[in-house]
Amino acid sequence: MMEHHDLLRSFKDNCGFGLVANIKNRASHKTLEDAITALERMMHRGAVAADGKTGDGSGLLLSMPTEFMLQAAKDAGIELPNQFAIASVFTPDLKHLDVLEAVCANNDLKVLYRRDVPIDTEALGEQALASLPHMVQVFIAADSIMADKRFDALLYLSRKETEHKLVEERGFYIASMSTKVLSYKGLVMPTHIKEFYTDLADPLFKISFSLFHQRFSTNTLPEWRLAQPFRAVAHNGEINSVEANRFNVEVKSESIKSDVFTDEEIARILPILQPGSSDSASGDNFFEFLIVNGMDFFKAARAVIPAPWQNAPHMDPELRAFYEYHSTVFEAWDGPAAFSLTDGRYIGCVLDRNGLRPSKYIITHDDNLLIASEYGVVDIPDEQIKERGRLQSGEMIGLDLKFGKVLKDEEINNYLKSTNPYMKWLNERMVYLQEHVENPYASSCDYSEDLINRQRFYNVTHEVIEQVIEPMITDGKEAVGSMGDDTPLAAFSQKQRSFSDYFKQKFAQVTNPPIDPIREKVVMSLNTGFGEIHNMLDEIPSHAHRLKAISPMITKEKLDILLSYGDVNSPRYEEFYKNETFSTAYTSDLKASLETLVAQIIKQVKEDGVRIVVLSDADFSKTHRTIPMLIAVGRLNRELLKAKVRHLVSIIAQTCEVVDSHSGATLLAYGASAVYPSLLFATAIDRINSAKQFDLSCAEALRNVHAALNLGLLKIMSKMGIATIASYRNSGLLDVMGLSREIVEECFSDSHLMIPGLGYADIDERLEKAHNSAFDDQGFGTIFPLQIGGFYKFYNGQEYHDFGPDTIHAIHAISQSGSEKDYAKLREIVSNRGLKFIRDFFDFKETKAIDISEVEPKEKIFKRFASAAMSLGSISPEAHEAIAVAMNTIGGQSNSGEGGEDVSRFNTNRVSKIKQVASGRFGVTAAYLRSAEEIQIKVAQGAKPGEGGQLPGHKVTGLIARLRHTVAGVTLISPPPHHDIYSIEDLSQLIFDLKQVNPKAKIAVKLVSTSGVGTIAAGVAKAYADKIIISGGDGGTGAAPLTSIKFAGNPWELGLSEAHNALKANSLRGQVHLQTDGGLKTGLDVVKAALLGAESYAFGTGVLSIVGCKMLRICHLNKCSVGIATQNERLRDEHFKGDVQQIINYFTFLAEDVRSIMATLGFKTIEEMVGRSDLLKVVDDAFAQKFDFSSVLHLEEGVNTCQMPFNEPYDDNKYEKDILEEVRGAIKHPDQPIRIDKEIKNVHRSFGARISGEIAQYYGDEGLKENTIRINLTGVAGQALGAFLIKGISIRLNGVANDYIGKGMSGGKIVINSTLQGEEFSAGGNTCLYGATGGKLYISGSVGERFAVRNSGALAIVEGTGDNACEYMTGGIVAILGSTGGNFGAGMTGGIAFVYDEKHDFIENVNRELVEAIRIDTDDGDEARHYLKRLLKEYVSESGSEKAQSILDNFRVELRNFWLVRPKNLKKLPLNQEKGD
Amino acid sequence: MRNFLNTGRLDPTKRLVVDRTKDFKEIYEPFDKEGAASQSDRCIQCGDPFCLNKCPLHNYVPQWLKAVAEKDLEFAFNLSNEPSPFPEVMGRVCPHDRLCEGDCTLNDGHGAITIGSIETFINEEGFKAGLTPKFPGITTDKKVAIIGSGPAGLSAATYLLRAGIAVTVYERADRAGGLLTYGIPNFKLDKKVIERRVKILKDAGMELVLNVEVGKDISFDEITNTHDAIFIGVGATKAKGARLNGESADNVYMSMEYLTAIQRKNFALSYDKKFDFKDQDVVVIGGGDTAMDCVRTAKREGAKSVTCLYRRDAHNMPGSVKEYKNAVEEGVDFTFYASPKEIILDENGKAVSVEMIKTVLGAKDESGRQRMEEVNGSEFKAKADVVIMALGFDPEVPSFFAENGIETNAWGGVVVNDDYETTTAGIYAGGDCYRGADLVVTAALDGREAARKIIKSLLK
Repeated sequence: MMEHHDLLRSFKDNCGFGLVANIKNRASHKTLEDAITALERMMHRGAVAADGKTGDGSGLLLSMPTEFMLQAAKDAGIELPNQFAIASVFTPDLKHLDVLEAVCANNDLKVLYRRDVPIDTEALGEQALASLPHMVQVFIAADSIMADKRFDALLYLSRKETEHKLVEERGFYIASMSTKVLSYKGLVMPTHIKEFYTDLADPLFKISFSLFHQRFSTNTLPEWRLAQPFRAVAHNGEINSVEANRFNVEVKSESIKSDVFTDEEIARILPILQPGSSDSASGDNFFEFLIVNGMDFFKAARAVIPAPWQNAPHMDPELRAFYEYHSTVFEAWDGPAAFSLTDGRYIGCVLDRNGLRPSKYIITHDDNLLIASEYGVVDIPDEQIKERGRLQSGEMIGLDLKFGKVLKDEEINNYLKSTNPYMKWLNERMVYLQEHVENPYASSCDYSEDLINRQRFYNVTHEVIEQVIEPMITDGKEAVGSMGDDTPLAAFSQKQRSFSDYFKQKFAQVTNPPIDPIREKVVMSLNTGFGEIHNMLDEIPSHAHRLKAISPMITKEKLDILLSYGDVNSPRYEEFYKNETFSTAYTSDLKASLETLVAQIIKQVKEDGVRIVVLSDADFSKTHRTIPMLIAVGRLNRELLKAKVRHLVSIIAQTCEVVDSHSGATLLAYGASAVYPSLLFATAIDRINSAKQFDLSCAEALRNVHAALNLGLLKIMSKMGIATIASYRNSGLLDVMGLSREIVEECFSDSHLMIPGLGYADIDERLEKAHNSAFDDQGFGTIFPLQIGGFYKFYNGQEYHDFGPDTIHAIHAISQSGSEKDYAKLREIVSNRGLKFIRDFFDFKETKAIDISEVEPKEKIFKRFASAAMSLGSISPEAHEAIAVAMNTIGGQSNSGEGGEDVSRFNTNRVSKIKQVASGRFGVTAAYLRSAEEIQIKVAQGAKPGEGGQLPGHKVTGLIARLRHTVAGVTLISPPPHHDIYSIEDLSQLIFDLKQVNPKAKIAVKLVSTSGVGTIAAGVAKAYADKIIISGGDGGTGAAPLTSIKFAGNPWELGLSEAHNALKANSLRGQVHLQTDGGLKTGLDVVKAALLGAESYAFGTGVLSIVGCKMLRICHLNKCSVGIATQNERLRDEHFKGDVQQIINYFTFLAEDVRSIMATLGFKTIEEMVGRSDLLKVVDDAFAQKFDFSSVLHLEEGVNTCQMPFNEPYDDNKYEKDILEEVRGAIKHPDQPIRIDKEIKNVHRSFGARISGEIAQYYGDEGLKENTIRINLTGVAGQALGAFLIKGISIRLNGVANDYIGKGMSGGKIVINSTLQGEEFSAGGNTCLYGATGGKLYISGSVGERFAVRNSGALAIVEGTGDNACEYMTGGIVAILGSTGGNFGAGMTGGIAFVYDEKHDFIENVNRELVEAIRIDTDDGDEARHYLKRLLKEYVSESGSEKAQSILDNFRVELRNFWLVRPKNLKKLPLNQEKGD
Repeated sequence: MRNFLNTGRLDPTKRLVVDRTKDFKEIYEPFDKEGAASQSDRCIQCGDPFCLNKCPLHNYVPQWLKAVAEKDLEFAFNLSNEPSPFPEVMGRVCPHDRLCEGDCTLNDGHGAITIGSIETFINEEGFKAGLTPKFPGITTDKKVAIIGSGPAGLSAATYLLRAGIAVTVYERADRAGGLLTYGIPNFKLDKKVIERRVKILKDAGMELVLNVEVGKDISFDEITNTHDAIFIGVGATKAKGARLNGESADNVYMSMEYLTAIQRKNFALSYDKKFDFKDQDVVVIGGGDTAMDCVRTAKREGAKSVTCLYRRDAHNMPGSVKEYKNAVEEGVDFTFYASPKEIILDENGKAVSVEMIKTVLGAKDESGRQRMEEVNGSEFKAKADVVIMALGFDPEVPSFFAENGIETNAWGGVVVNDDYETTTAGIYAGGDCYRGADLVVTAALDGREAARKIIKSLLK
């Protein structure tokens, strides 16, 4: 369990990475220089500390520079033997080297020489210098004759042993200790690494390969040891599943048998993972362990980062068998990853299953291989380039140095699948439960007798049935709701709550992306296996003994089959599946009962060979309540591990507690292999049998419920960026709210505990109460015995709702009367609500009051008020404008939300000063951005962090379509991630883009409260954001799954306090402004938010209620009866009663309320009040004393508020600023076009954005006449070439460009061409044209993943793409004259694409959920055919494409190779660009 | 659900005025299944259901509306009968326009859901379909006496019986139901409805003792000795006067006397013929629901003219707007802004007219109601053969209260604590005898909540 103070200083990291190698393994100094140059040119992917010189870390992992080292040793008078190794050691104390030496000696190794690594400290920043360790290279040789392999093994053993011995010495670190590789890394900027390590300048220093890495850490407390590469790996990305992987490595460690080490040696090596290291370092530890123990290099790589095989029907079955076999022991280290790996003989680079990091390679004619995050990091003339490519999702590339051969993905796969008869092994042993189920959804019910009592005890209320279960029955999906969660945390509630309510889901934000589990389901899998986890180091047929299910949510029927395999009396019995069911029922003393149960299970696992443990609450009765299943599973999981028998068993929970995906996911996260939700199924059966409205059979209903659970699980995993359930299981990816330290340490120790509180006895007391009331209806409930419920919606006497009828009535009274008395009533309701939310637990300490006249005027306070982001679309134009005018009138800010804004509002008091940039990029153009005072990047949204959204076509009116630059009636999908933010350096890039297009705007980043948000906030500050918003998890929404509204995201108090303190701990607080939102209503809320660190405050639901919202919670249905959350004209015209004055009245009262509280506290200004958490104390109340709020009230040293007007990036973009001056004449006088020629490098990023912003300032999105400014570039363009490019600018690049070409382009033209033409040459990176609304892009080469994602108007022609092309496209035209990757057209609801399919394999790549591919060589295709021809002609004339020319030359013949892809519901082809199609 | 955009609010059809004023049958035609379903289908199913929040019983309104829309009658019937002791009564007599329907989200231009009529529909259709509220039988050895069989008493009896507790109800009248039977005219609440409900309770084990007034026909001690707890629900039956000169004249009647007499007449029981007002000019003073009951009864009884005198205007009438409208339709004359000063008597001491003074409404007072001021010199007379005073009721205070330490407050209301327990342990009270004249629904609430406490104390 991580403590709060660690949280403030913890970190996440992303970066730029790569490798250079000579394919023929020839050592040269040039290879080293290339590696260093490459590092230097990726500076912008890293970060720099406040001293301007200390980097977050960079480094090189080099092949052994044998020649140099022999010389170095010789210079010291030492003759090295042929067999030697060098350990590269960082240590604060040289005496630690003696430990290393002693360990070596013990392992038959001897130290020959300690070489002090020559360094020049001039190259270091202050921070780095202060923490500079001794850097010593320790030369080691064998002390007796031994084989090379044994020598390598002993080196590893010795290093691990030394690390264990010095585990307390945090500064001691062995960066490498190998015969083959040597590490040079540290807290040094890449530009200074050569100066720092003077060795590297020596021409004698020759290497054949190098991995290199530039780190971007979210914190400013970098450590030398954290620099990458590690001993075998350089990683760009983040391992989302690392908690699960770490747990699982420990499990796997229980059963290791190695060919390389004896059992005794293995014991000395364990634990495999160094404690307290980063996700990447853990991955490195694990991979290295596999390699050292003789696992095949490629198998190890693919075991750690497997390709998506589960739902890849076109994958070679033999290869799938390889993966399926390995899945019995290994689970993916899941998350965005570009991994460079080496064991000295092989070098490889592997990309995660979803292609979330860039990895680009070049092979040269002179036998060099370069792989890096970007092109252009080493200058290589075109004529030297033999191949320029990139890795696609889940691909690997390798290099065998021994034989000097590059191994492509296919060759590697061929090798992998043929090394063993995996298919045969699986066929003979693996059991698929589904095969044995005769009737998958029978209607037999477990609980017909005591159903009601169970429903009452397990909190299955009428509301749960109606709101949660019935939608699952009828739709096969989870229920959707709207608005936010306004109920207290379970721990604070006085009402009966489910135990899983104490847990809040984690989600990805900034440093890693969530996944879209619907549109990208090809990478997702719920595939679940049961049985022992065998020795991971051998490959033998018996490992294939597994029972398999396609989902961890199992039905009664599957459970029965599963149990029959472990039942001694069954003919199917096999001992590896021997099972036993254990009852969780107890009568008193939860803790003791739990301990007895767990001890009993462990005994039977050890002594009776039980391999499948079924925990069951079926024995619940009038006399017996049951241990919360989550406690039982969590505790058992930990104790089995402690007893070192975790690998032997699978845990299955048969439970009444699971009624939705959240409650199911919690069990999996803490170790259950599968869940049989007995009461949910029983309830569904009961409803089908008793209710009249379902036109479904029982089997259909259960199938639907099951499907809904599965979809829900996928959603929960995907919001954390995890693709497979195997990587989610044991992850503990939840925040625990309000349970005691004891419970969390014993049961949920992988999770963060927020607000330590209720212990076993408290929980037991609550269970007892629920148990009593389940059986004690006291005359009530004899007619309708269910509890009515009140968790999702208000019901009198049930759960508290902060926006309940009284509050809503009070707010409406204020807006109608405008009287202070009515405001006082609201204030009274809020102040007297009791201990419902965290802030309610705090009182002010006694301070000296001042007169209210001394307090700053309300106008000053208004400036700190903003309305929360609500898009035009989610709310009506009338409501949207009323809010904008009101906020502008008082001097606050309104927020456009994600959905564009009418240009007629720009420069008027109807403008939204805050413009939002969200993942859909709807309406995000240069002019839109330029109209903003603040640009808010919505990384996550309180109601549904980690999820996207969807605006169904029927809601897309003409106005909305116009503002969002799309066509009325076309469904608009917002993806879960920003496709240009998969990591912190990506966010940094987007911030940079936005600062170019609008240099005057503040860039804000909206995050959602969760543990670790402080780390993220620090990273965001380092990425040069000006403002950070911490949203409460209770935020509202137009539509989100109920489980997301309720169970994802923490209260704002926690996130705000953590972010504020983490920024202070990292000395970053002064660089950014902090804002918060989440159910703020009165002055008390605002003042408490200020004391906890917020400088400004946003209001969502509150503002809506002022203009008439009644919390109907039907925003998603377009029927809002008060005309707010609807586009229905009648409702808007006749029923919207909100007006500007109402909002002004409310904020006036609010500001005065704030002022009066400030006066009593003695503050004259908010500025001096911010961050004064020392003035808060926990209320004097017995219930409040149960909880530990110290982390919320924690006070770090340092400034409390933002101290600078802007958080300026270190890259001043002088390059484009200069060019802007050159073209300014043409902007002033558009009738005088200009043409300029420039060279460009990969460090010149976002080119075109600054000029576009300048043009938009004066001309709007209309821009200038085509070709007014023509810029011809030569070289390699940096990321985001032509971002937000506006009409009038044409960029011609002779060369190649990196990721995000033409992002947000609204006009203009980009042409990329070079002598290296065609599909086999990559000419552009990933995610090009993201959110483009217009313009043209021609590239005579191929591009990366997610081409034209969310394009809604651009025209583009390229000659090949990676996976997921045209995803979420809503408009525009794309032609691809070559191969596409898989999952083409996922979520594509508009626009069309032409694909040239010479190899006739395209159709397999199409995601046919929404689109269809049709032929155009028919009469019907006439129009399209001729349109295509015109396109190609223009393309040839712009780009000189040879391929296009040859197609045109044979057009009649080639036509048959073209497909036209269009959305299925698109009736008329939008082929007329001039008409705006 | 949420079909409010395409379907407007439809009140149930009323019988034609000419027909309905000829008899005492209920005036509303019940919804048919389609009508009830389509009206229910209008419900928004709000996140903040104001309707149930406003309902004193917190009836499961949105829940049963959904069930009706889905045509699941049994489900709706059970939902409706859980928090409410006799929903078929409340569906008819509650002032919905001031409670659930008044607070309905859609009551802001869309037209509120016809909650009351749907509530009636659910239960009438349910009974028709053979549904009946479930009772467990007497499963405990506890016995509770209930004094008064009005809404509070019957409500308490319902919930006590549901807990398996034996119940004896003492009623001084010859029929059970209290106000429900003799206070509310048949055209609003058919007496068969009450009879049916009483029968259900008797079938469930309720012992009903009629024509017995506690403290008179049976001693209070006797009851306390034979029961584990007592619930007093004797109502507020003492009519308020206006303290006017002439008020005690023979032809000046109290509303309840009149309504009871006519109900007896309709039951074909003996009644005092002086309450036959055929061809007379009837003046009713007061503007509440009871006044409306009187005027409409008089109309049906063939009065020559019926005039209602009220101090304020139609908008400020304390009763249900619906009832006022019905009265207007049925030909009742209303004189607003008129405050009675004196009943003018003839030489025989018989009232012949009412002297009134004009009033105007001023600024709103604390309660939000406009203050009333009299206009000097604006006196006028209203001719009357009969005057009915319908000015509200106070509780009667039986002598056994004081004898047993049951305290009352200044206006005679029983003093109870949060548990509905009177100042004497084991004796509970609720309804009008504790609140003063109030609604049927609040009496039902008191009965239910008092029962909850009694059960808790007896079965702990």
